Amino acid sequence: MARSGTLGTALLVLGVTLSACGASGLGAAGKFTPRTPDTLTVATAQVPDPGFWKGTIAHPTGGFEYGLARALASRFGLSRVKVIEVPFKQLTAGNLGGADLALSDITVTKQRAEHVDFSESYLDAPPAILVRPGTEVPDVHAAQGLSWAVQDGTTLREALAEAIEPSAPAQVLEHQREVLLALRVGRAEAVMLDLPVALAYAREAPHTYAVAAQLPSEAVLAAALPTGSENLEAVDSAIRAFGADGTIERLGHEWLDTDLQGGRDEGVPALRTDE
Amino acid sequence: MTALAMHAPVMAALVDISSPKGAPWEFLVVFATLLLGPVLFKRAGVPGIIGLLLGGYVIGPHGLNLIGSGNATLPDLGQLGLLYLMFVAGVELDLNLLRIHRRSTVAFGLLTFAFPMVLGTIVGLALGWEVAASLLLGSLLASHTLITYPTVREAGLSSDPAVATAVGSTVLTDTLALIVLAGVAGSVGGGRSGVEVAVQIAVGLIVLIAFSLLVLPRLAALAFRLLGAERSVRYIVAITAFLSAATVAELFGIEGIVGAFFAGLALNRLVPNEGQLMDRIEFFGGAVFIPVFLVSVGLILNPSVMVQGQTLELAGLFILACLGGKALAAMLSARLLGFSRPQATLLFSLSSAQAAATLAATVIGFQLGLFDSSVVNAVLVVILVSVLASTITAIRASARMPTHDRGPQPLGKRVVVGIGDPELAQGALATALGLARADGGVVRPVLVVPETAPFAPRAARERLAQIVAAVGVETLPTTIVDRSVMHGALRAAAAEEATLVLVSEPPEQDGAAAHEHPRQDRAAVRENPRQDRATEHEHPRQDGAAARVAPGPKPRGSRPYTPPADTPHTPPVGIVRGQETLWVDAPRDSCYSR
Repeated sequence: MARSGTLGTALLVLGVTLSACGASGLGAAGKFTPRTPDTLTVATAQVPDPGFWKGTIAHPTGGFEYGLARALASRFGLSRVKVIEVPFKQLTAGNLGGADLALSDITVTKQRAEHVDFSESYLDAPPAILVRPGTEVPDVHAAQGLSWAVQDGTTLREALAEAIEPSAPAQVLEHQREVLLALRVGRAEAVMLDLPVALAYAREAPHTYAVAAQLPSEAVLAAALPTGSENLEAVDSAIRAFGADGTIERLGHEWLDTDLQGGRDEGVPALRTDE
Repeated sequence: MTALAMHAPVMAALVDISSPKGAPWEFLVVFATLLLGPVLFKRAGVPGIIGLLLGGYVIGPHGLNLIGSGNATLPDLGQLGLLYLMFVAGVELDLNLLRIHRRSTVAFGLLTFAFPMVLGTIVGLALGWEVAASLLLGSLLASHTLITYPTVREAGLSSDPAVATAVGSTVLTDTLALIVLAGVAGSVGGGRSGVEVAVQIAVGLIVLIAFSLLVLPRLAALAFRLLGAERSVRYIVAITAFLSAATVAELFGIEGIVGAFFAGLALNRLVPNEGQLMDRIEFFGGAVFIPVFLVSVGLILNPSVMVQGQTLELAGLFILACLGGKALAAMLSARLLGFSRPQATLLFSLSSAQAAATLAATVIGFQLGLFDSSVVNAVLVVILVSVLASTITAIRASARMPTHDRGPQPLGKRVVVGIGDPELAQGALATALGLARADGGVVRPVLVVPETAPFAPRAARERLAQIVAAVGVETLPTTIVDRSVMHGALRAAAAEEATLVLVSEPPEQDGAAAHEHPRQDRAAVRENPRQDRATEHEHPRQDGAAARVAPGPKPRGSRPYTPPADTPHTPPVGIVRGQETLWVDAPRDSCYSR
């Protein structure tokens, strides 16, 4: 009896091992295959981008999304991170310029999801109002009376039109840096940005910018991958792991001076509305 | 038609109807899924759990996208449901079975954990997975959920040694699986050394066990005593208890579900399975929290991934490791413990179903980034196959087993306390509570009102309710009208299928008082021949046995009481006078002895 039990156990162990060895053998958390060997190629719209990217395209030196890119490369066993610049509208239209993925403050929307595959989100990103210090925006009526600038092709343009409905038409500009310039030189009194981005600008130049309010929203930032990318599972697992092991929290504290994962920045008041 | 078309622009201008969104809409979608998912699938003969999982898929981002991937409310509620599920798993375990069959339980528990654990780990390593993911796979295949227990219990086999062994082993397998999960979860956070992780987990487990088993039951008992008059408060105390244990666990980097499970074990004695509090816990858990967890898991479900070759390949390997390991463990244990072949099949059927614990560990593995969605979907296939396989084997094995109509029941399983004067009830209630807690049983206080009393003794009822709550008994007292407290208590005992009856009486004034009640009872029976026959029919041995009143020690409540199979219910009776308990050997020929 004991002999037949031992034999059964041995046969089962052997069968299981041989079957598993003959299986396709993808990692438990997905397998990442880079386009360029040993290199994670990341597309982004602009470098530098306060809080998210520091340095230059050729030599990025820091920032939340750069830190995230390095953490991804490390998890996938890749020794290099290569950054390429691709206009934001092209990124959201599905043209990643040959990169493995895009990290560029991209808010997840259904419309964009038709052109790219989004990973798990890594930051909450409600729309926020950035002004010059001293400009008060206590409620939506005050916001309506301001002159506005917003970047074209972003969810922020829709948020401005739907939630604020400015009295005068907003200036719609191609690049984020033009939007900031408009605010800085006084061509606009307020601009709409994702909250983490707005906080990063206000942190970098507190005498030039202030975050006046945030709008209620479930907007989140995520990495964009080419549609049908087989790397999606691996990137998803990695971002979940970074949430669990504190990587995202650490990067948030280091580069954005805030913790937005899973909540809102309590220091920024919500814009009062009539509802 | 034309008129309608003409009026449409006017209506549109007057009535602004937008597509449904927001919290009410999302909750409507979720609760409609809770309602329809299990109902539709049960009609097709498929377990309701599958309906909830598939319902989650239908409303989720891979289905109709009614609940989008950015939604945080449902996953948060699902997280609460997961903690709730593990708490219920701990609180409803029958610790008496574990104690009575401890040797066979430990032997089978270790084997049924070890085989799938080793095989699952081998599968992971052979697939090239990292060690943490391989160990987690082994542990999630090693645990089991007693899905087929209701089937076996309905077949009258709950007291069969093999069944008791399998049920008891659940504590061991789930605890070991959760310890592996705690170790794995701790090891993937923050790049610490193996020694640091081991120390952290060991210290965390010691603190958690000390908190759960020493602090929590005392705090809960105190809260029940001080605040227990409010029924809803007891429920909130139970919720707070498992959330606090989960929080303590997470302070040390141990998954919250481990804390919730230990909290369940800690409150096991305080929350008897047949009590009102357990009823509430099961009700809210079964109606809302646990189904919401299952629906939230269904959001991850992706049939397009599930039917992929890679997923099915993984599922096949997991099934081989899990069901193969469980079958081997059942066969070997049956030989070691001397169980028959149908009993071996029962061991397998009870220990092979993968559901709650497996799902919990899988979701944690997914959240930690150890598993991708193909592993989650493969595990869901394993759950489906194991539930079907275990159900079929349970039905077949039960049909081949001789039935045990009524198994031995612990003395404190259901204690009826007959009370005439609420002011004298405290001693009897405290004695009853001590016995019931020792046996995981319940206390049923019964206020016996004399036939000549006013119709509605509201003041007495309210006073008794206060005393019952102050002692810590959770069941609300019931009121019956009868000719004597003893007689009323025995009638209530018959209705409740009590395992013990205690009757509170005034402290003894002289030595003769001890014999007062049985004599009265006997005399009353003689006075009324019709009542005599009725009483004899209900309690055939009560009359003669009650004459033998014997003072005795307070029972410790560990010895099982087996009512005779061919007679109506005849539990032992005790009379509590102040601090003294006198034992009346009511069932003269029963196998109860002390």
